[in-house]
Amino acid sequence: MGWLDFLDWIIFLTLLAVGYFAGRAAEARHYASIRKREQELAKVLAFATKYPPAAHLPQHTRLVAGSVVVGSDYFKQFVAGLRTLLGGRMKSYETLLDRARREAVLRMKEEARRHGYRLIVNVKVESTNITGGNRGGLPAVEAFAYGTALKPPAADGSQRAV
Amino acid sequence: MRFENRAPEETVNYADEHPLKEFALLVVGVLGAVALGAALLGFFAGELAARVPFATEREYAQSITLKFEQAKLGPAQRGTRDELRALAGKLAAAMPLPPDMTIRVHYADEPTVNAMATLGGNLVFYRGLLHKLDSEDAIAMVLAHEMAHVYLRHPARAMGRGVAVGLVLSAVSVGAGRSIGGEAAQRAAVLPLLKYSRDQERAADELALRALVKVYGHAGGAADVFKVLGSAVAGEAARLAILQTHPLTDERLALLQELSRGNGWPSDGPRTPLAAALRPAGAKE
Repeated sequence: MGWLDFLDWIIFLTLLAVGYFAGRAAEARHYASIRKREQELAKVLAFATKYPPAAHLPQHTRLVAGSVVVGSDYFKQFVAGLRTLLGGRMKSYETLLDRARREAVLRMKEEARRHGYRLIVNVKVESTNITGGNRGGLPAVEAFAYGTALKPPAADGSQRAV
Repeated sequence: MRFENRAPEETVNYADEHPLKEFALLVVGVLGAVALGAALLGFFAGELAARVPFATEREYAQSITLKFEQAKLGPAQRGTRDELRALAGKLAAAMPLPPDMTIRVHYADEPTVNAMATLGGNLVFYRGLLHKLDSEDAIAMVLAHEMAHVYLRHPARAMGRGVAVGLVLSAVSVGAGRSIGGEAAQRAAVLPLLKYSRDQERAADELALRALVKVYGHAGGAADVFKVLGSAVAGEAARLAILQTHPLTDERLALLQELSRGNGWPSDGPRTPLAAALRPAGAKE
């Protein structure tokens, strides 16, 4: 038996190693960025409530949204694939969704801040598997956060009524 | 009132454990279970297949037999085949084959250095191996070895095992589909097939040696075969098909010596020269 007989094993293990190391590095970098920006954007408040605090009325409103697509890696898919045989927590995908949700909220807050808003209400977060459950497809998840940004009319000098 | 967005506890939404931990548990657990299941099922299916009457196996293998029988052979190749058949007949008389177990030898005019036994008592002797052997004793050793595989029902066992492993594969692919993990589980199910033949080769060697000594009075032919295979240099050895399916292990050589000594067989003796039809065309006597 020559080494060629093991070629598919070599390719498989290489992909697994590349997926593991590249995926780990990307995840660590992303989490560092998320934590840093969550500190920076702590002044932009986001709430799920439909009703703005009474003190803020009347006010300007603006739809703000943030979305992100996070791709999986070969290693995560491999572990999740084995997990489908047994069931249970898909730990390898949990970080993926956690990152996607937090990143989407951050991008929404960034948009609000860019336009001078410091408060977002009626925040919703949705997620979609963008490969549509296609068998053999690359799992990538989209998270989408949106809400209504509010600010008092005087805050930017604008007199436009809402 | 003052509002704030507090950062959530980091590990509420995901497990704070090293990803390799889950990986290791799953690989050992799932792949191990699949490989073990395939091995167990394959073993019992092989045992079951070996107990199927030979007549049934022959009937099942009809298409294989027909394929070999219908291969086009020139007159010289037919002569070689008939000579091999005569030799097989001589050996069969010295082996404990049941009366309904017919051996059908086929000659393939191909450079492959190998010989094989397959379902239905069909043996194939390739030109590449035939012309490497320079005594009837050596050819008889190879023939007897392959006939022993048939006698021991090894082709049937291999097929039973293959069917069982195939079943495990399809079960896994239904469970895990085309996901990467599912593919890995399928690889694990094939692993038992790779390690298959060591004990069978040993059993076939032993039976073949007994027949060889009965016919020729000594075990010299076996030594010749092993010498020819053993003399293959590293690069050549990788290309010789026979060394891939019948690895020439020290164990095999030791068995030859041990059996010769234990039974008081002469390990050497006069070789029977090759019949003309078994020699390469144009070779001198």
